[in-house]
Amino acid sequence: MTENGTRASFLRTFWTNAVFAPRTSLGFMRIDFVLGTVFVVPLTQMAFFALVDQLGGMTNQIAFTAIGNAVATVTYSSVFSVCQTTDHEKEYGTMEHLLVSPANRAALYVGRGLIPILISLATVTVGLVYAALFFGAVIPPAHLLAVAASVTLTAFAMVGFGLLLGGVALYLRTSIILGNIFLFVGLLLSGVNFPVSALPVPLQVLGEAIPLTWGLAAIRSAITGGVTPALWWLWAAVAVAAAISFAAALGLWKVFERRALATGSIARF
Amino acid sequence: MRPGAKRTGFSARRSTLAALRLSVLQFMADPQWLVPSMIAPVIFGIVSFELFRGAGRYYLTYAILGAGMMSMWGQTLYGSGWATGQDRNFGTLEPTIQAPTPYVYVVLGRVLWNVVSGLLGGLIVFGVVVAFAGSPPTVPNPLLFAVLFVFVLLTLAAVGVVFAAFYVYTRYAGFIQNIGEFAFYVGTGCMFPIVLLPFWSNPASLLFPPTWALDALRFEAIPGYAGLSWGFGWDLLGAVATTAIYLAIAGAVFHRVERHVLETGHLSEY
Repeated sequence: MTENGTRASFLRTFWTNAVFAPRTSLGFMRIDFVLGTVFVVPLTQMAFFALVDQLGGMTNQIAFTAIGNAVATVTYSSVFSVCQTTDHEKEYGTMEHLLVSPANRAALYVGRGLIPILISLATVTVGLVYAALFFGAVIPPAHLLAVAASVTLTAFAMVGFGLLLGGVALYLRTSIILGNIFLFVGLLLSGVNFPVSALPVPLQVLGEAIPLTWGLAAIRSAITGGVTPALWWLWAAVAVAAAISFAAALGLWKVFERRALATGSIARF
Repeated sequence: MRPGAKRTGFSARRSTLAALRLSVLQFMADPQWLVPSMIAPVIFGIVSFELFRGAGRYYLTYAILGAGMMSMWGQTLYGSGWATGQDRNFGTLEPTIQAPTPYVYVVLGRVLWNVVSGLLGGLIVFGVVVAFAGSPPTVPNPLLFAVLFVFVLLTLAAVGVVFAAFYVYTRYAGFIQNIGEFAFYVGTGCMFPIVLLPFWSNPASLLFPPTWALDALRFEAIPGYAGLSWGFGWDLLGAVATTAIYLAIAGAVFHRVERHVLETGHLSEY
């Protein structure tokens, strides 16, 4: 609240959360943390699966796998960190204060997503550079704008998905299991290491519920064909996934907040 | 206590058993903590199996061994490292360090339990990947395989003890492990032989006991396995030697860390 007792402005709440959350509830406490996430994780994850391809004799698959894993590393900052914000609030004893504060919730939660979106963008970009430099992926310069747009949309959608999971975690004792599941499940269901069509139909349907699946399809489509009608449809799908995630996240937080305020209880760490 | 003075008033056996007992009780109170360290290995095992599909009958063994090792790494190494981090969070690190019991025995008790729970996690991952694959891997000598599997776990525990010693100094143990997780998987060749890595990286890989132990395990489990050129016997010897070195380093580091902490009052910039 401001000094005269009025509600803090939307922008102020948004900006305060954007600046503070990375150092507190998001866990990006130091720049070397961020640098490690951006530069080390994509390279080692891509190398791991590229070597698995090599061992299985599928050297022609390496570029596909590398691009998939470059994009999949977005989950570390967008899903895992964002999802755990609820845990940290509970652990530090700040959740109750947050729930009784009059701060605008949309500004509060979306503000928390700002830095993860930027880190996600950096992670995927660095991953795609690695894919081109070390794993034989070809990204035509003419398609770079389309790729950039796809990556940006994917980062937004994934952070929205992370916030949605954080909303679910509000009512769980811990979000660590949820975070771990969605940190890695995309590797299986989202077409990261092999096409989604190779999966049984029920798993394909599950995969379509994850924004990463659409985001990755958009990025692959942008790399191979640039801006095409098919890419527009994929962008629309990613945008819809992002909108649904953010809206569902806000809705969930609202429901659980009301419940917490009505009952005076909330699952504690 | 004066730095360098001989410690009295504790029993190494009793301290280790007490730490072990507490770890077991904490695990029984909330066994869900086994789950996070199994999710990634199960998914990685299934993905690798899918990638290996059609490559040959023994590739299932690669997928299962790799996934099992990743699970054990999660439980054994993470567990050991996290324990120090949790002591720090709960404010029990300082009292534990200044107690008459050397910290190494507290960590040893925890590591012993982590070895057991790591094995449990590895077996569950093994079961899930086998269920997905539809058949168990073909292993020529199941008994030797089981013994070597446990030995791999012990080599991981040796790495865990060394890491735990260094984690006394830092509040960023969890982060270091998260960042280093894939690097360790790649470097130790948990899903593939390290001969696939660039030759210049092999010496670094051989600094880790699990690299040797896993190679030995694959020589035993996969007929025609093309691993390190010196073969099964030298792999085994290398694993034993590096594990012994790690344990010696861990003992020395713990001793030094404790002395330094008691002299300077410095645990970390929390």
